[in-house]
Amino acid sequence: MATVRIPRQKVILCGDYGVGKSSLFRRFTNNTFVSESDRKSTLGLDHIDREYKVGDKQIKLQLWDTGGMERVASVTSSYYKFAEGAILVFALDNAASFHSLSQHLLDIVTYAENAKIFICGNKSDLEGREPEVSDEEVEAFCEQCHTLISATYKTSCKIGEGIDEMFQDISRQLVQANRSKMELHALEQKSFQIDTASEPEINEEGTSCSC
Amino acid sequence: MNEEYDAIVLGTGLKECILSGMLSVSGKKVLHIDRNKYYGGESASITPLEELFQRYGLEAPGERFGRGRDWNVDLIPKFLMANGQLVKLLIHTGVTRYLEFKSIEGSYVYKGGKIAKVPVDQKEALASDLMGMFEKRRFRNFLIYVQDFREDDPKTWKDFDPTKSNMQGLYDKFGLDKNTQDFTGHALALFRDDEYLNEPAVNTIRRIKLYSDSLARYGKSPYLYPMYGLGELPQGFARLSAIYGGTYMLDKPIDEIVLGEGGKVVGVRSGDEIAKCKQVYCDPSYVTDKVRKRGKVIRCICILDHPIASTKDALSTQIIIPQKQVGRKSDIYVSLVSSTHQVASKGWFVGMVSTTVETENPEIEIKPGLDLLEPIAQKFVTISDYLEPIDDGADSQIFISESYDATTHFETTCLDVLNIFKRGTGETFDFSKIKHELGDEEQ
Repeated sequence: MATVRIPRQKVILCGDYGVGKSSLFRRFTNNTFVSESDRKSTLGLDHIDREYKVGDKQIKLQLWDTGGMERVASVTSSYYKFAEGAILVFALDNAASFHSLSQHLLDIVTYAENAKIFICGNKSDLEGREPEVSDEEVEAFCEQCHTLISATYKTSCKIGEGIDEMFQDISRQLVQANRSKMELHALEQKSFQIDTASEPEINEEGTSCSC
Repeated sequence: MNEEYDAIVLGTGLKECILSGMLSVSGKKVLHIDRNKYYGGESASITPLEELFQRYGLEAPGERFGRGRDWNVDLIPKFLMANGQLVKLLIHTGVTRYLEFKSIEGSYVYKGGKIAKVPVDQKEALASDLMGMFEKRRFRNFLIYVQDFREDDPKTWKDFDPTKSNMQGLYDKFGLDKNTQDFTGHALALFRDDEYLNEPAVNTIRRIKLYSDSLARYGKSPYLYPMYGLGELPQGFARLSAIYGGTYMLDKPIDEIVLGEGGKVVGVRSGDEIAKCKQVYCDPSYVTDKVRKRGKVIRCICILDHPIASTKDALSTQIIIPQKQVGRKSDIYVSLVSSTHQVASKGWFVGMVSTTVETENPEIEIKPGLDLLEPIAQKFVTISDYLEPIDDGADSQIFISESYDATTHFETTCLDVLNIFKRGTGETFDFSKIKHELGDEEQ
């Protein structure tokens, strides 16, 4: 296929309420940080695209935030659909948020079985306090999950540390994972999104109507 | 929960989720509750397959149907008209970004025990095996008339006032026989019964245009269907509502809708918690004393290992059996989706037959539909009451949706939603309100 479209990869944020998913989202979006006191919750945030360059390849990461649904209910299963990557976020100063990763992992494996999964320990800016979750514990968790976890990162949204590096690395991993998959994908008739365009969307790769 | 809201929405079925999204977008503070653990209520797509068997009290099927997780079976299957109300709602609310669709491959109509492609343009009219040679030409002229018809240009009306004269009059003008009227009214204009014949012809013309405009949009058929099943639709609108500040609670039983002075709603009670509100929007199951029964709908979900015969092996199909063809007062709808939409395991198909119940023995009523699907590996039959609210909610400020009808498209669903929105807010939903705001963040 001779398309030159930049591949877009949906990446979702998962994790407990309050671990900093929206902060990561904000850093990704416009590299800002809003302290807890002025923050309402995840209002008005949906998803955003950003391009990354991996070697000679362009890739568009489309990062999705939960919309705050996890506050009292659960996130809808459709949130996970079509995700190519999932970032499991926990807070380094909150052991409980680390222990519930297995539940979030189960959701990802159930609803987005093809997604590559990454772990992100947020709030690395502890200012002398001991983290509640040690590197060994994270390692042990990854080992239990066998090969499910592709990589782990540490970030601080407050001081903006490790975030760009994380998204850069995730882009690299997704490009790699996709080389073979994309070719396979091209063979199948693609579904499409409906939009405002008055012109009907033509699926070049789809089989044409024979009747 | 112990807060005050502008509106509390009960049930996360499609209608309630659309309403919740529309209300949140309009700036209302919304609390949305479901007694179930999952989103979607009756509009959910059931997964895995074992869960569907369990719902119907059947033993788990084992390995027979492939991997259970590959299945997402709609309890109330329907298709979207590509140019219809729901698609407009999806586009204008931006919910379309959460979903992917595929066209339904074939649209057929039943005649004399066989099925034929629904002809919608002149070429198809002439090639169709639904009509004899002379009738084809008359039907073609009728289609040209509809195609050229402009509501704002009386010259295109050709000495016929479609706002005053009825549809029977227009059929007679073109000399169309009963058989042609039948598939035009039921498979093209998608009317459920024959009352439309006595109504102004313009209604029918609009609906035929909707059909052909929808067809023109993505080809193959006028219908669309979302990947992973219809359960994705309510979830998309729920996300919209959440993005605009709506609060979600699942697995929360509702014990009472609390009324105040003059029978006006003041809140909703769950256990000893009360959430205050000015309005409640809900499905009939939350207010059994405020709804009445207006009939029954039968739906039969069928698992097949083959496409429907004479559909050129289409992986998805809609077939309409017009009432008169089988001596009934309401149409029978047949639909088929498959693994191509991620709703069934590879090589399997999900068929559905539905209609409005007319006799004491509804399963016999749908036999003509089931015959088209045979052989059927597994059947799941549901007969449910069609409920409607006893009042418009003006006094109580409780706005209740109607049950989902037997039709296999969403036009009536959307009309109900827009109607409830109007009753509740006093305004017609402004489609232009949200589109751009949501688009902004994508820049």
